[in-house]
Amino acid sequence: MKIHKTDINKINDYLWEIPKSFNQKMRVPAQVLASEPLLDAIMEDRSLNQLINVASLPGIQRASLVMPDVHEGYGFPIGGVAATLYPDGAISPGGIGYDINCGVRLLTSNQNIEKIKDKVELLSKEMYAQIPSGMGKGGQINLSSEEMEEVLLKGAEWAIDHGFGEKDDLAFMESNGRLEGANPSMVSEMAKKRGTDQLGTIGSGNHFVEVDYVEEIYNDEIAKAFGLYKGQVVVLIHTGSRGLGHQVATDYIRLIMTAMPNYGIEVPDRELACVPFNSKEGQNYFKAMCAAANYAWCNREVISWEARTAWKNIFGKEVEPLKLMYDVAHNIAKIETHIVEGEELKMIVHRKGATRAFGPGFEELPNAYRAMGQPVIIPGSMGTCSYVLAGSPKSKELTFGSCCHGAGRRLSRTAAKKQVNAPVLKEQLREKGIYVEAGSFKGIAEEAPIAYKDVNMVVDTISASEIAKKVVKLKPVAVVKG
Amino acid sequence: MKIQYLPHTADIRMNIKGSTLKELFVAGMIGMGNILKEGFCNKNNPIDSKTKIEIHALDRTCMLIDFLSEILSHSYAEKSIYCRVEFLEFTSNKIKAILFGTHTSKLDEEIKAVTYHEAQVHRNRNDQWETVVVFDI
Repeated sequence: MKIHKTDINKINDYLWEIPKSFNQKMRVPAQVLASEPLLDAIMEDRSLNQLINVASLPGIQRASLVMPDVHEGYGFPIGGVAATLYPDGAISPGGIGYDINCGVRLLTSNQNIEKIKDKVELLSKEMYAQIPSGMGKGGQINLSSEEMEEVLLKGAEWAIDHGFGEKDDLAFMESNGRLEGANPSMVSEMAKKRGTDQLGTIGSGNHFVEVDYVEEIYNDEIAKAFGLYKGQVVVLIHTGSRGLGHQVATDYIRLIMTAMPNYGIEVPDRELACVPFNSKEGQNYFKAMCAAANYAWCNREVISWEARTAWKNIFGKEVEPLKLMYDVAHNIAKIETHIVEGEELKMIVHRKGATRAFGPGFEELPNAYRAMGQPVIIPGSMGTCSYVLAGSPKSKELTFGSCCHGAGRRLSRTAAKKQVNAPVLKEQLREKGIYVEAGSFKGIAEEAPIAYKDVNMVVDTISASEIAKKVVKLKPVAVVKG
Repeated sequence: MKIQYLPHTADIRMNIKGSTLKELFVAGMIGMGNILKEGFCNKNNPIDSKTKIEIHALDRTCMLIDFLSEILSHSYAEKSIYCRVEFLEFTSNKIKAILFGTHTSKLDEEIKAVTYHEAQVHRNRNDQWETVVVFDI
């Protein structure tokens, strides 16, 4: 069904709504968090049609939502939030995505960019050597089946217990790097097999490890609490649960699609396949998803260890090691409490390409951050800039405590490859002081800045809508890609 | 058999055609193999990897997607690309087959998943079997 601008009601400068009356299958309105220019860009693909389909999920509360970085997905739009009522509202593996607990973390150093400028190229080469990237490359760890069970149960803690991480890191991760609901027996043997040698690997696509520096501070008080200052060198890591998570999603979408008719559920797109959360299939999926999420946190912890090794190899032991600032998931389902029409309700919050952004006072946050709000890390496209934000109370009111997750794609990979000459782009970035280490030129072309929306516009919309505050802007100096 | 790659904002969309259903399934396998490693299935590769698969599905469309998903899983688990298949049984909701592949150390593309999105195995105006397949990249 074609959606026209006249079908969309303006609530305010940054919030737009397609009413429930637009389509008889919608159970709630569909809301878009975007400035008008971004809304116009969003209307160029089928994101909004997909958002309307999400509004038909059983048990969905208040509204189906998309963030300003949304783009068309396959079933659910990428950059969306759907909260369903606990315990019998829908859980949909497609609403979490194939890369379960894809997420971002930021490590900080005590070095200033001016001081280490001459060593950035060396550092990027060492990072590329230490961190396996690209397809088909296994990591340094080969898990036995007993170790795999432990990783799936313990998450990042497993890496720390085995010498691949720092004990202090746990407090600085969403959910402390571990979901309690995990059950490894709900993860198929094929998924486990695919995950055997992938801990500590970033994979390909839009995943990366980046060296940046803090270019601009927007909020001194929060930046200070997060341990960030101007000129400081930081490391940004973006990856998820690798083949293990992809297989868990594939297995359960297939299973849930078959089980769905038993619960009288019909969906407009098979990728929206869902069952009641408290059904046997729903519970089994959730336990497997938690296990895959734990694998992803363990993966990002092991990658941090590799990045820390590269750092030490270049700067020696005299320079302070990298410290974890925070780690956030952006493809996940969480059981949370939110207020709908004045009533406090427990919900299953699906975030697919959306980041949790809870405001000040959130108990899980480490002491130093609690009064500031949860750190939210927004990676921009390769060679542009990234942001650190802090969640605000308004996010609970508007977006079930959620925020955007990146710049959001604008061009297809094919279109990007047609428009971009990768060797030239690599050279242009180098002239701008950004070293790119990648497995292929194809990967560079597909992830070229031109393929993405302007992350500044996305973040400005988030900031203007008050769901999160801008804290600092990061500028890249080295990028390691698959 | 015809394989065409179409644009998609974030992923890869592939259109495949075959004069028989089996040919359509083979087109899907080759089309996917060529994404994993460009032009790989167009070459005459030595076979050094063999695996048996069995699939039960709701209908033809799910059967195709599940068939491709199964091949993809084995590709990663065995670090092989499969370009040849021998069907031992082929009905509208069940497939038994042997996959023949070649070990390869480095792939060009990581396909996260074969999705059901937009897939609809149907007979087109020219009496060929046709569908779109969207891969999550």
